[in-house]
Amino acid sequence: MPAKPKPVEGEKKVFMTGNEVVAWAAAAAGAECMYGYPITPQNEIMHYWTRLAPKFGLIFLQTEDELAAGFTMLGGVLAGRKSFTATAGPGNTLMQEPLSMAEMMRLPAVVVIQQRGGPSTGQVVYSQQEVTLTSLGGNGEGLRVVYSTSSHQDLYDYTIKAFNTAWRYRFPTFVLGDGYQGKMREPVVMYDPELRGVELVPAEPYVGRPGTPGVDRPPAHLRNAYSIEEELYEAVMELVREYEKVAPEIVEHEAFGVDGARVVAVAHGVVFRAVKGVVRELRQQGVPVGYFRPITLRPFPADALRRVAATGVRLLVVESAYGQLARLVKEALSGLPAEVHGLYKPGVLVGQGEIATRIKTLVQGG
Amino acid sequence: MDLDVVEPFFTLRPIKRELEARGLQVVARERHTLGLGETGVPLPAEAKWALRREGDVILDVGYGAYGAQTLNLVEGADRHPDLQVLAVINVARPMTATVEDVVAHVRELGRVDGLINNTHLGEETTVELVQEGARLVTAAARLLGLPVVATSVVKELAPLLGGRDVMGNPVRVLERFMPRAFW
Amino acid sequence: MKGVQIQPAMPRSWRPETKPHKFCPGCGHGIVLKALGEAIDELEIQDRVVFGCDIGCSLLAWDFFNVDTVQTHHGRTTPVMVGMKRANPELIVVAYMGDGGGYAIGTQHLVNAATRNDRITVILVNNTQYGMTGGQMAPTTLPGQKTETTPFGRDPELTGYPIQGPEMVASITRDGAYVARGTVAKPRQLKGFIKRALQNQMAGRGFSFVEALSTCPTNWRTNAEDTWKFIEKEMTKYFKVGEVKVPPELARGKGEREDG
Repeated sequence: MPAKPKPVEGEKKVFMTGNEVVAWAAAAAGAECMYGYPITPQNEIMHYWTRLAPKFGLIFLQTEDELAAGFTMLGGVLAGRKSFTATAGPGNTLMQEPLSMAEMMRLPAVVVIQQRGGPSTGQVVYSQQEVTLTSLGGNGEGLRVVYSTSSHQDLYDYTIKAFNTAWRYRFPTFVLGDGYQGKMREPVVMYDPELRGVELVPAEPYVGRPGTPGVDRPPAHLRNAYSIEEELYEAVMELVREYEKVAPEIVEHEAFGVDGARVVAVAHGVVFRAVKGVVRELRQQGVPVGYFRPITLRPFPADALRRVAATGVRLLVVESAYGQLARLVKEALSGLPAEVHGLYKPGVLVGQGEIATRIKTLVQGG
Repeated sequence: MDLDVVEPFFTLRPIKRELEARGLQVVARERHTLGLGETGVPLPAEAKWALRREGDVILDVGYGAYGAQTLNLVEGADRHPDLQVLAVINVARPMTATVEDVVAHVRELGRVDGLINNTHLGEETTVELVQEGARLVTAAARLLGLPVVATSVVKELAPLLGGRDVMGNPVRVLERFMPRAFW
Repeated sequence: MKGVQIQPAMPRSWRPETKPHKFCPGCGHGIVLKALGEAIDELEIQDRVVFGCDIGCSLLAWDFFNVDTVQTHHGRTTPVMVGMKRANPELIVVAYMGDGGGYAIGTQHLVNAATRNDRITVILVNNTQYGMTGGQMAPTTLPGQKTETTPFGRDPELTGYPIQGPEMVASITRDGAYVARGTVAKPRQLKGFIKRALQNQMAGRGFSFVEALSTCPTNWRTNAEDTWKFIEKEMTKYFKVGEVKVPPELARGKGEREDG
């Protein structure tokens, strides 16, 4: 059988929307199945995937809803193909059902979330209000990996990384974007990951392996239900141990100007872009500020942030939500006498002017 | 007029007032009627009768599986003697990055009278890229039997390009309002 | 004519302040909602009706009527109205939704409400695709029809054939149910079906369901002529217009049977 053409060959700088980037990156990562249900603002991921599908032999099904999209994705994973879905808002709420199963059974689900305003139908445009849901959703311990992107290059790089992380560590893995990232157009470098030395972790089936079960090989008996409390306790502790063991390999953040800073702004996603600009400008004016950007919201870069907070610096959490990132920050810093202030704008972009004013007030001791 | 009903993300709407101040009438929904929870795809009634207006009418058709068929939504558009359907091509977009892809893409659109080379990488556009786009689009145009109506370029780069691109197509200078839209 | 005030021909139960409505030119929702408004007027139940709408273009009807309205979540209008009716049976509840809200994400609720014979009236608008989100495939998309998630045409081998909603509801319900499929191409007949679907609820007889074939020229990308051709000639190849199940008492009653 002729080899399928590679979706992305070589390396090239291109111009497109964030949703299109996700479709290409997933294909470049070796994803073969996408399952999805329409919900704004991520529909175009499906639109582009269905157009790429015949060229590269990809599978797609638009399911009856997000519950089905999540569970069909898990079916694809169990059958040994890299599978993913994408959703937002109310769809993300529904997705907690299948993702709880993935968490319990260590299934390498990959989900792209393009945040929109909430709760409920909210607005279809933008927010950062799905942080809690994406990081800690489901009826378990939130054993998930969440990458928060802030540019199209991030969307490309981290969508590929999400598949590798999922299949290497076997925890549900998310790419957390938002409606603006999904719809904006900017330049991005598309590349064949293997050309850049990024090893693509292979998928493997959980079921349907060669041989007769019970004869040639043990049967796969996969379950997520236990009879007694102690049994579940052992199972969950095993999950937690495994998660905590690999968390240091997964966690990512970036920081700038924290040494000697009086105020450090903490932000993620597109809000980080604004914060970065403000911090660099203020530093040029001699204001002692820095920034801290968690790239993984789960596992949260707690150690790195604790080192920053231990200096007694004031932290300003800036987000398009009412304290969802701040909640993760405060949990990470618990036990330290850290001052955490908030600039919360649920569902709207935070302007650079506003960020600058607030930082300056905090620097002056206000 | 914003006819993008698949991805109606606000291409013209936020800058509506500014364009109107310059004498352009913009037919698109205002922000406050958008959504109620969804995209606000519904077309305003004036869209249907856009060609009844005086002067030049520019229809932004956007993308979608139906291509130029979207013009069916504007009464009389397909029959109007002055109608020109121009396909705007950006070779920096992966789906239209080669001559073959551009030809296939244009063929799927339905009626197209000419191509515009709008090759760019946003803020990172270079003259070389625009010229490369001109070569590619012109080659595709030749295979399609269509003219290249123009190469468009932002006013910052226009002096480096001159009045005609490397393939001899006329250059049209763009003054960008889009950064004042959401992107 | 002296002293005559020209009013637009609008049902009394419509809310004039929110007209002209926000639907696209050529959209069938306006016709279905007019049929519903007229039925409410003729039955004189404006003070008892509660109107529920779903996500999608149906949500644009949230302030359409001078009738209490609740906009719910996608596919959940049916259970919300079921809960409401069980809490206050005096209300006449209408669950209004599109092909996604009834036949995709809302199917389980539709099937269960029908099986329970919940005394509610469901009106489902079928325009063969998901309009509000930009024209993706729906369970009602025709074979070969292009949508944004079937850019090369719907392949029945991969995704099946268009769902036969009223026929399914008729087969899983018992004798008290009323089931019909109307079309905006025959508005008087549609109004008659909707009126019967409301009367059936008022009589406390059973689950009442009307699918309305409707137009979406925006996402079909059709001019007026092709729009009507699609709904009258193409859609009717897969969706048969008419009453599918009528309780004998309702058939014997004075309900209008117009084939307009």
